[in-house]
Amino acid sequence: MGASIKAIEYVYPEQKITNNDLSLQFPSYDFAKFEEKVGIKNRYWVRENETAFDLAKLACEKLFFNFDRELVDYILYCTQSPEYFLPTTACLLQNHLSLRKNIGAFDFNLGCSGFAYGLSLAKGFINSGQAKNVLLITAETYSKYLHPKDRSNRAIFGDAAAATLITFSEEENIEEFLFGTDGSGYDKLIVKNGCSRFPLAAQAEEIGYGTDNVYTDNYLYMNGPEVFNFTNEVIPNFTLEVLAKNKKTIQDVDQFIFHQANAFMLNFLRKRLKITHEKFYIDLEDGGNTVSCTIPIALKKYSQTITESENIILVGFGVGLSWSGGLIKINSKL
Amino acid sequence: MTKQEFLVGLKEELELDETLESTTNLKDLEAWDSMCAMVLIGYVSNEFDVILKPDDLKDMTTIDSLMKRIGLDKSN
Repeated sequence: MGASIKAIEYVYPEQKITNNDLSLQFPSYDFAKFEEKVGIKNRYWVRENETAFDLAKLACEKLFFNFDRELVDYILYCTQSPEYFLPTTACLLQNHLSLRKNIGAFDFNLGCSGFAYGLSLAKGFINSGQAKNVLLITAETYSKYLHPKDRSNRAIFGDAAAATLITFSEEENIEEFLFGTDGSGYDKLIVKNGCSRFPLAAQAEEIGYGTDNVYTDNYLYMNGPEVFNFTNEVIPNFTLEVLAKNKKTIQDVDQFIFHQANAFMLNFLRKRLKITHEKFYIDLEDGGNTVSCTIPIALKKYSQTITESENIILVGFGVGLSWSGGLIKINSKL
Repeated sequence: MTKQEFLVGLKEELELDETLESTTNLKDLEAWDSMCAMVLIGYVSNEFDVILKPDDLKDMTTIDSLMKRIGLDKSN
């Protein structure tokens, strides 16, 4: 007995923001160079009265076109954009989607490492006999955390939600996963104010960093070079550990799908690991960095060409600092 | 790699219009931003197997100081 990914559906908000739109606001910045290096052409942002939960509902409804919602017996909801401090967004989702009441539901707060965590949790629930059909949602609206004058983060982050169905199966298709945590880097990517430690500041000081970049502690801050350094130092070896744990070599793997953070960084990791272009997924053009949603979106897109069982390595990394990865097998289009 | 090759390579990597001198302070360049920092870290890591830390970037003044950090000052 084992667990398998049966379906993935995702949605973007309607509001599309192109590089051209951003260049009107930041005329001195070379967005052509940005597009070439980082690989993003447009991203989608929710409107003011729209939330990650709204996106999650749409993604789940898409999933239920082809799957009976009555069979869902666990909801795992990954977000850093919850609907409320409390209650748990997964509970709202149970009600909104008219799912059964005798099911488990909880939120977990992770960013770019969240999807791989979610798969591993789902596998654990299924293989221990606690659930048969797990609905894993990743839903994120970082756009709400971005300062209006924060040019580089506005260029990188987009909003999205993805709904993934993991079900029990004869074969095990979710193999071994590994995890990593380094909380000393908690302030490398952070929204400092507005939660328990620091209240939102009425007159927060504007802090400039780099060219054309401004934020306050009420908004998201990312130290790009340090996050890049962390990734560079940790992720190549971690990927090799994930391979070893699954008794596989790079040659045994059909596709590596990493968190789509930015194309330059992904190519850098790819070269360090000596993986060919063909085996390494990079596509941020439409949608940008959607945090915990990039891997399920990439997996859905990549799977459209799958005709026989493929070994796919997933690796997520980022805010926390937190990282996770593992091997899955997919044998048909999701 | 000679210092001159390093200067030319770095200019290409950063896609700069101006010619780099060993006395240039990268952080004074108009185009300098976090993406340039990322490209610089990548270039140095690929070519010299040296991982620049955040403090290295903070301490970096001229390209000369960067070359010292990498150990390139010992070559010609």
